[in-house]
Amino acid sequence: MSIKANTERTNDDDKQKAVVECERLTKVYSSIWTGRSKAVCALKDVSLSVAEGHIVGLIGPNGAGKSTLLNLIAGLILPNEGRISICQHPVRSIEARRRLGYVPEYPAFQNRYSARTVLNYHGGLMGLNRSEITDETDRLVHELKMNDYVDRSCSGFSQGMKQRLALAIALMKQPDVLLLDEPSNGLDPVGIIELRALLKKLRESGITIVISSHRLGELEKLTSNYIFLYRGQIVSFGDKITSDPTGHLRVELVSDGQRIAEKILSPEKTLSASDTELVIAVGDPKEVPVIVRQLVESGAEITSVNLETENIEDVFLRLYNERN
Amino acid sequence: MRAYELIKETFLRKRYIQLLHISWFATYALLFIAPFPPETWNWGGFLFGWSGCMLSLLLTAGIFGDDIASGRICVLIIKPFWPGELYIYRLIGLSLQALIHILISGTIMFTLHSATGHGSIDHLGLWMLSSWLIFITFAALSTSISVVVRRAHNSMLLFAAIIFVYIILSFLLGLFPKHSATEAFMGFLRYACPPVELLCNVAFGKYSAIKSLGCVMHSLLLTAVYGTVGIIILCKRQFVFLRD
Repeated sequence: MSIKANTERTNDDDKQKAVVECERLTKVYSSIWTGRSKAVCALKDVSLSVAEGHIVGLIGPNGAGKSTLLNLIAGLILPNEGRISICQHPVRSIEARRRLGYVPEYPAFQNRYSARTVLNYHGGLMGLNRSEITDETDRLVHELKMNDYVDRSCSGFSQGMKQRLALAIALMKQPDVLLLDEPSNGLDPVGIIELRALLKKLRESGITIVISSHRLGELEKLTSNYIFLYRGQIVSFGDKITSDPTGHLRVELVSDGQRIAEKILSPEKTLSASDTELVIAVGDPKEVPVIVRQLVESGAEITSVNLETENIEDVFLRLYNERN
Repeated sequence: MRAYELIKETFLRKRYIQLLHISWFATYALLFIAPFPPETWNWGGFLFGWSGCMLSLLLTAGIFGDDIASGRICVLIIKPFWPGELYIYRLIGLSLQALIHILISGTIMFTLHSATGHGSIDHLGLWMLSSWLIFITFAALSTSISVVVRRAHNSMLLFAAIIFVYIILSFLLGLFPKHSATEAFMGFLRYACPPVELLCNVAFGKYSAIKSLGCVMHSLLLTAVYGTVGIIILCKRQFVFLRD
């Protein structure tokens, strides 16, 4: 498990190097104009740590505190209470920033600059020399397939092109931690597939990636590690979020489904039964061959068997509905 | 490279910047052949008001405010260097622009005055120095305001403040010229605000060399104070990703 919260730390977990550590974070938004009465508590006593080389999805409904958590990790805002460190360096320190790449939800660039000039500009800010900038720019342009428009002015860029350029900026000088806020925004299907492949490649190279996204299906293809935030608190975390073994077996038959179900299955196992379809509750995937064998031995003529487990969207809805 | 990129950015960040410089130069040149009173015109004073005070407001418009409003600041501020560098190199970029602009303007004025004999170029060198000093003081003040407001509101705020101060000053000097409140207000304007009066007097040659040097130091000190305030705010403030 790559993500830990509060006291749930194990020896196994401690062996993994934590690159992002947050301890008892509380963030309250208030202003001198509105006063304390209208202050909003965006995060409350949140602790977590993310281990090296993992992809972690930040999920939760609107207003749950995802962006606040991402902004805190990026050092863009400061917590009212708590502590954050990036690779053992306090957030906002130069050492922490050296290890951080950040892609905002709506990237913006100097419109007069071409993509290449923007990359050169950010390379300069990163402290690279001229030849390093040229090498890095060429590498990123090639890796992110930006050759067609790298010399065009950013003012005419689509959202997808902007996302790629923002990602290229974030990847300059190989960060240890990459923070992505809705990275697939505006990307076409090919772009999304390429982004997914790139993120997997980055993870393999040891980069830790934290993604805030509403596209749960996309997230599910990248990781099984999630932080579910709800009203400023972590509700569920780590791969436990999908570890609920509850699933169901959908069996299609030629006929006699109802009769066979009554004969061999207990009523609590039978979720629905018709002559041509049975839906059977499964506690453990190992039960599947046993059930199928029993059905065949009872004379069932099976045309298809499908084990349907809870996906991240189902989990999200379940967790959300439990709290509403 | 960091310094180079940030300084270069101040020259290129808006299309109107180059246009502004060129149109400013053209205006200076055209005024020599204009029918209205070039004979009594002090070109140095004109340079001071136009390129020293006004140009600084236009060149600093949205210098940080545009980054804040577009959300670009969030990517800039997490780069691995002290955020004060962002401020310092941008201010240096603006100062360099002003230096180049004032040198070219002074050359245009000197050349055309030599050719036409129109107006006066007395103390042109001192006026050029004063123009540059007032430019950097206004630029530091405007840049610091830009750290806390969005878009080009910094220049608009400063311009409105100049108009407001001028109205208040005219009112006080007209009705209560000897009142202690008027003197206190004058003192505040003279020493805490961009030192327009002091630098004008330096350029006119009204002060001794020592006093002039004191005024120059005062102007540089004010620039440093305005800049320090801006840097502290930039380093301390939080940036939430919002864009308009």
